[in-house]
Amino acid sequence: MEVLGDLAGGFATALRPEYLLLAAIGVTLGTLVGVLPGIGPALTVALLLPLTYDFDPTGALVMFAGIYYGGMYGGSTASILLNTPGESASVASTLDGFPMARSGRGGAALATAAIGSFVAGTISTVAITFLAPLIAQLALLFQPADYFALMVLAFISVTALVGRSLVRGMVSLFLGLFMGLVGIDVLSGQARFTLGVPQLLNGLDVVVVAVGLFAVGEALYIASRARHDTEEVVPVRDRVGMNREEWRRSWKPWLRGTAIGFPFGTLPSGGAEIPTFLSYNVEKQLSSHKDEFGRGAIEGVAGPEAANNAAFSGVLIPLLTLGIPTSATAAILLAAFQIFNLQPGPLLFENSPDLVWALIASLYIGNVMLLILNLPLIRIWVKLLEIPKPLLYSGILVFATLGVYSLSNSAIDLLVMYAIGILGFFMRRYDFPVGPVILGVILGPLMEAQFRRALSISQGDLSVFVTRPLSLTILLIALVALLLPYLPALISRLRGERPQSGRTVFGEGEED
Amino acid sequence: MSEEPRERREPESGTRNAPQLSLLGPRIFAAAILAFGLFVLYGTTRISGASGYSPDGPTFFPLIVAVGLLVFGALFLLSTTLRRDRYLGEKAAAEEASTYWPTTGMVVAILVVYAFLLNPLGYAVATALFFPAVAYVLGSRGRRKVLRNLAIGVALGVLVFFAFTELLGVRLPDGILDPLL
Repeated sequence: MEVLGDLAGGFATALRPEYLLLAAIGVTLGTLVGVLPGIGPALTVALLLPLTYDFDPTGALVMFAGIYYGGMYGGSTASILLNTPGESASVASTLDGFPMARSGRGGAALATAAIGSFVAGTISTVAITFLAPLIAQLALLFQPADYFALMVLAFISVTALVGRSLVRGMVSLFLGLFMGLVGIDVLSGQARFTLGVPQLLNGLDVVVVAVGLFAVGEALYIASRARHDTEEVVPVRDRVGMNREEWRRSWKPWLRGTAIGFPFGTLPSGGAEIPTFLSYNVEKQLSSHKDEFGRGAIEGVAGPEAANNAAFSGVLIPLLTLGIPTSATAAILLAAFQIFNLQPGPLLFENSPDLVWALIASLYIGNVMLLILNLPLIRIWVKLLEIPKPLLYSGILVFATLGVYSLSNSAIDLLVMYAIGILGFFMRRYDFPVGPVILGVILGPLMEAQFRRALSISQGDLSVFVTRPLSLTILLIALVALLLPYLPALISRLRGERPQSGRTVFGEGEED
Repeated sequence: MSEEPRERREPESGTRNAPQLSLLGPRIFAAAILAFGLFVLYGTTRISGASGYSPDGPTFFPLIVAVGLLVFGALFLLSTTLRRDRYLGEKAAAEEASTYWPTTGMVVAILVVYAFLLNPLGYAVATALFFPAVAYVLGSRGRRKVLRNLAIGVALGVLVFFAFTELLGVRLPDGILDPLL
């Protein structure tokens, strides 16, 4: 087993004291920031990205993996105790998590979320260990045309499958694609949309866009309604842990959630939103306590939390092996790789095996650390939820500004970020999803490069995208993804019934 | 991001008491998207060295983005006028009812001032002033709270400044504290 040898080598690196320390710092900071209400994993990683600039690539990525997982664990705490999901993938957990907290079973809800995340995270990491090298081998066969088709699929599924309106999703996507165009065109050396501002020649950093949309947009939104919102933190009265009955009711949902979440994470299907709702519905169907759902059924927390964590891990497969992020958070992870001049993709496993395997090993370690961090210490994190909103959002703005300013000490960057924040504010108001923007910024330039590379190989022949079986297949799947939401309405119309709505919405709430 | 469930459910429940629709805001936003699409189209024609619009040149993708913004901007405008999107109208109405614009405007103004003061004043001083200012605007008022927030701002500014410059090797401006450091 070559894989096990590689993994052992990865552990040898990741268990070195300095990397263990970085992993511990990463999971702690990730949990700390992720637990703050209104901050999802995408913003957590974007805000903490500057902290890693000074380390060697392996150290930075080990820390970053910790931040990624920590942000996710932290997010579930806010969803359960405050009913404010940091992102759409946590919405399903609030449906029963919040009622549980209210009826004095918050400790059990937090415990099943933490242990479920650990189980799902560990199983998924095992799956990554064995699947990623295989897929990387397979990906070596991919040509530029196939990459182009894959990115089209990622765009379509993020905008068409997730969110309430296809039109609004598409507007978001094209806004993101535009932001990705700003700067010097790599292939021809032409400046595009720089408005004569020299700082824009290097393009818009995805951190500027993500922090602007998520942090500044959210802070402005809270500011606009500061006079209306009051929220109570539900105190955790019971012990953080589960009794025998709760264990018995949790373990199957954990495993099923993992089985649902992981495959969805690996596919370009818009991240964790769909699998969490799917898991919630599956548990509701299978449960012998159907009447408890919506009023505090532990299965309704255990399943979606496991699915969420498994999907987050699954996202790492296309990211590491193909270099294609399939969610907003993954897009920022890709940016983290690019800072260190690492291009994830099939060659990453060949060129920097030490780094990849240390990263995978640190996923195992991070999961164990998070379990330790979250079960006994959860009461400390809960204290963070009690920070008054004015202070919380002032602090978020301080750190948002710091994160972007430390990129290049440029006031222009800050003004661009604030402008994007104002855009994010209106997008939030009028129900535009934010995820497609982030994906557009980071994938747009890659997609353009692959598109033009494919054309130069085929000497300008556009049919290259439909004559290669692989790219044709992927493009057809994208077409199906585009039409899928209209299918239920179409079927009921064919049956002669009046459809309830034109388009089916997968999952409720907003995108991350 | 955070949103109360009651708000999410409400707009869905259809025809009950003919809920208020508010589409003026979305219409303005749609017009802004269309205007922006035109700007992108104009900018595309200004990219120098444009060898026609051949698919492998630097102007092909910008052209697609411009067309995409115009098409989907127009469709969005349609959903606020001829084919009214009930959900959107009700959400916008609910937003409008709970929006207090002066606070939003003040936060934006303070942010812009902060961006320009960071370099001349230095990171620590600018942050020490910024934090209590935003907290005040967001509703943390009263003499004791203002003093407490000022203290937090000073601590935050100094701590971050030293942590980043000394421990993480990230450069931040000294500003007026330069002679002391």
